[in-house]
Amino acid sequence: MADILEVKDLSLHYLTRFGQKVHAVTNVSFTMKQGEILGIAGESGCGKSTLVNGLMGLFIPPLYPTGGDVLVSGESLMNRTPEDVRLNVLSQKVSMIPQGAFNALNPTRKIKDIALDVIAAHSASKKLNEKEVYARLRERFDLFGMETERILNSYPIQLTAGERQRSVIGISTLLNPKVVIADEPTSALDVTTQKVVIKMIFDLLERNIFSTMIFITHELPLLRHVAHNIAIMYAGEFVECGTSTQVVHDPRHPYTKALMGAMLSADAGQKDRKPTTIEGAPPSLAKTITGCRFAERCPNARVCEFKHKNQSMRMVGERLVRCDYVE
Amino acid sequence: MLKLLRNLIKEPMFVIGMSLFLITMIAGLLGPSLYTASPNGMSYARPSAEYWLGTDNLGHDYVALLLRGLQNSLYVGFMAGIIATTIGTLVGLFAGFKGGLVDDILTMFTNLFIVIPSFVVLVLVSASWPEGRSLTLIAVLIGLTTWPWTARSVRAQAASLRGRDHISLARINGATNLQIIFKHILPYLASYVFMVFIMQVASGILSESAISMIGLGPIGEGSTSLGVILNTAKNNSAITYGYWWGIFPAAIVITMIVFALYLLNNSMEGVFNPRLRK
Amino acid sequence: MLKKYPTVRYVLQRAIWYFLTFLVAIALNFFLPRLGSDPVDIMMAQSSFSSPEIRKQTEENLRKSFGLIVIDKQGQIVRDEQGNAVRASKLSQLFNYSKQVLKGDLGTSFKNKKPVKEIILQALPWTIALQFPAILFGWICGNLLGALAAYRRGVFDKAIFPLALLMSSIPFFVFGMVLVYFFGIIWDIFPAVGAYSLQLTPGFYLDFLLSAAYHYVLPFFSIFLILAGGQAIGMRSMGIYELGTDYIKYAKWLGLKESRVLIYLFRNAMLPQLTGLALSIGAMVGGALITEMIFSYPGLGMAMLTAIQTNDYPVIQGVTLLITTSVLLANFTVDILIALLDPRVKASLAMDAK
Repeated sequence: MADILEVKDLSLHYLTRFGQKVHAVTNVSFTMKQGEILGIAGESGCGKSTLVNGLMGLFIPPLYPTGGDVLVSGESLMNRTPEDVRLNVLSQKVSMIPQGAFNALNPTRKIKDIALDVIAAHSASKKLNEKEVYARLRERFDLFGMETERILNSYPIQLTAGERQRSVIGISTLLNPKVVIADEPTSALDVTTQKVVIKMIFDLLERNIFSTMIFITHELPLLRHVAHNIAIMYAGEFVECGTSTQVVHDPRHPYTKALMGAMLSADAGQKDRKPTTIEGAPPSLAKTITGCRFAERCPNARVCEFKHKNQSMRMVGERLVRCDYVE
Repeated sequence: MLKLLRNLIKEPMFVIGMSLFLITMIAGLLGPSLYTASPNGMSYARPSAEYWLGTDNLGHDYVALLLRGLQNSLYVGFMAGIIATTIGTLVGLFAGFKGGLVDDILTMFTNLFIVIPSFVVLVLVSASWPEGRSLTLIAVLIGLTTWPWTARSVRAQAASLRGRDHISLARINGATNLQIIFKHILPYLASYVFMVFIMQVASGILSESAISMIGLGPIGEGSTSLGVILNTAKNNSAITYGYWWGIFPAAIVITMIVFALYLLNNSMEGVFNPRLRK
Repeated sequence: MLKKYPTVRYVLQRAIWYFLTFLVAIALNFFLPRLGSDPVDIMMAQSSFSSPEIRKQTEENLRKSFGLIVIDKQGQIVRDEQGNAVRASKLSQLFNYSKQVLKGDLGTSFKNKKPVKEIILQALPWTIALQFPAILFGWICGNLLGALAAYRRGVFDKAIFPLALLMSSIPFFVFGMVLVYFFGIIWDIFPAVGAYSLQLTPGFYLDFLLSAAYHYVLPFFSIFLILAGGQAIGMRSMGIYELGTDYIKYAKWLGLKESRVLIYLFRNAMLPQLTGLALSIGAMVGGALITEMIFSYPGLGMAMLTAIQTNDYPVIQGVTLLITTSVLLANFTVDILIALLDPRVKASLAMDAK
């Protein structure tokens, strides 16, 4: 089967007020097949959210593409006009489920009106048959097993946190996007609601509303249950890519190991293990970095002879790792 | 703090605003004592080498008048600003920090004096002082009528701080309300209160000139203000006869001070509130 | 009470609050002019009388019209043994004054003996015709510009923002004077004073309306432009704040049309601006009244200026009371508008009612 998403050496940068370039994402490459779920994990500030904008072809100043390409079912998202991206890519090819649904919904607009705005924004005809569209909306929201009528006619403030998050998921997947990017969709929710939301996402997957998903989170263990493949991001680069079993149970890159060590885990045999913290901070992306980006925090740094060299991805134990030291 | 200053200096708005402000301050503080005008009897003499900005209807040198007026306007502005900011900050702090009934009562008072136009109060009181309406009296009146603005915004800020951890911690440690307000809340609001103060000074200068324009300005020797200069020029037909030097210099000076203060306020807002940056 | 209708309850609450504020305003209107010296004394000191009897008569009439002396049920002045009018206590003076005001009686002008109400009713239409559109359009245009500046940033913002900031630092009357000087005197394009050509008698006919429109231009723009500048500044910071919010980012991620995102932005940033309008309408009206004076526009501002110059206290007090009343009414309207427009306020009203 053809790749539905192909990312080739994607690099993105911000321009600061004083004309400085901040290289938030550097040489990210990966491919996704139809029906695949990819998890991306990393600390906050590692470039995850910037990458999301790049994957949607959405370059709002001060964010600019530095190089590379993103192809969705063979079509490139680069070098297109913002209007073209808005009309043909967003919500249809690539859609996004943001975190913090309370703030994501316009507080002065009813859920149904926001949903209608999405349909109107992507329909060729100027005039929409409101009744027909509303019926379509009801049908879709009925799938979520919520009180459709009440939710659609409510303002965000009148809904519970879970209802709002589910409304956001409903709105984001309204036009059956080819790829859905979920950016920490559960991070602001309590545990029970988290489960409901995850279940809802999987319901949609099962019903083929969408089939390919990128799930971004800082909770690595969560990904093991959700994702087929996992990519670990550090300082704007992918440092390890593999199947979720490989990455979670047998991490190779020292950062992935540290990340796993920093997590609390309830798994058998892990209960007595104390979480460790990762000392230090990632390097500033406003400067050109030479050598290994993780060197300053790496436990192997003292013995590693490659740390002054730029690291590149290579195969280690059937997955890609950006570390010349590990075997 | 130093970092904030460094950021401010990079801000062109701040640099322009600060320069304008310093120029007017120096001119207003030192000008009247350094520049002495030569007496003249000619009404509305055109600007010349002797009288750089001409003379007014009574033949007074406009440069001297403007410097004196600037000094007095600044005096009224700062005095009113200090009074309004002090009252407003105290009321706002207590209302925001205490909450409950105290808040309700203070907020009711604040809202009451916000909706009753301070302009009206100024007119009514000034009109009942046909004699002895000094600069200080006007400044005090302006201060006493414009504090609700400060109270309102400080209250909102103080209320948002009330729930913070360090406040609860101080309370658990047995700090009194006064200690909490002055040690733990006020320092956080210092930059904010300072910005409000700048706006109060600007509004004090504007209020004074407005009240002078309707003939209720300060009375007495040497108490001319920028508003009084404009009002005198207008009442003595400077506009009708096209004596531009009677209007424009004073108009430009008022606008310049207020513009400088607005620039300072806006540039600080940009630095203190990072969302406005980009 | 009225738990089922939170909005109605809210409107009633606000109405009661504003009525109480109105009573406070009446009290201020009564006491403030007496802080310095007695207005009747000031007025008496300014006039000369042919005989002491007439002088006494005038003073008594004045005191009567101010509610300063005791009056019996037949409307006669109550006198003591020496035949002097009995002075009312401060509280009963206030009570008399409030009663008169609530009945709509604002007293008689000291200078031209006309009822104050008549003077005000003559001036009011001009003030409304000038200020209402100027403030309304200034508010709308300023907010549109501010929202655009916030949304587009870049060159547009760099040009608009300092200009708007400069505009908002110019006092209304200063700008009015500048406009009169250039357009009215030097270039002589528009009339510099008045609201219509004095050869015409006011009425609804073409020549008069044209003349009124011609005279309207300068005062209108001197209020409109300054106000728009100030509003643009406020809207710009509100807009930038809203632009950084998650719902705007989400709207962009969903690929909503730019015009729709702008509507989101404008509407939500407008709500606090509307509150701002309610709070600053008093200051605006004050500033705009002085603009009338610059243009000798025959509205309330002019009426007040004339009254101040002649120490005509009944007129001053009448005008100030009217200004306060209209500002209170404007505030009330905006309060209700916000409750209707902002679902967050509505939801919190419904919550309070429970």
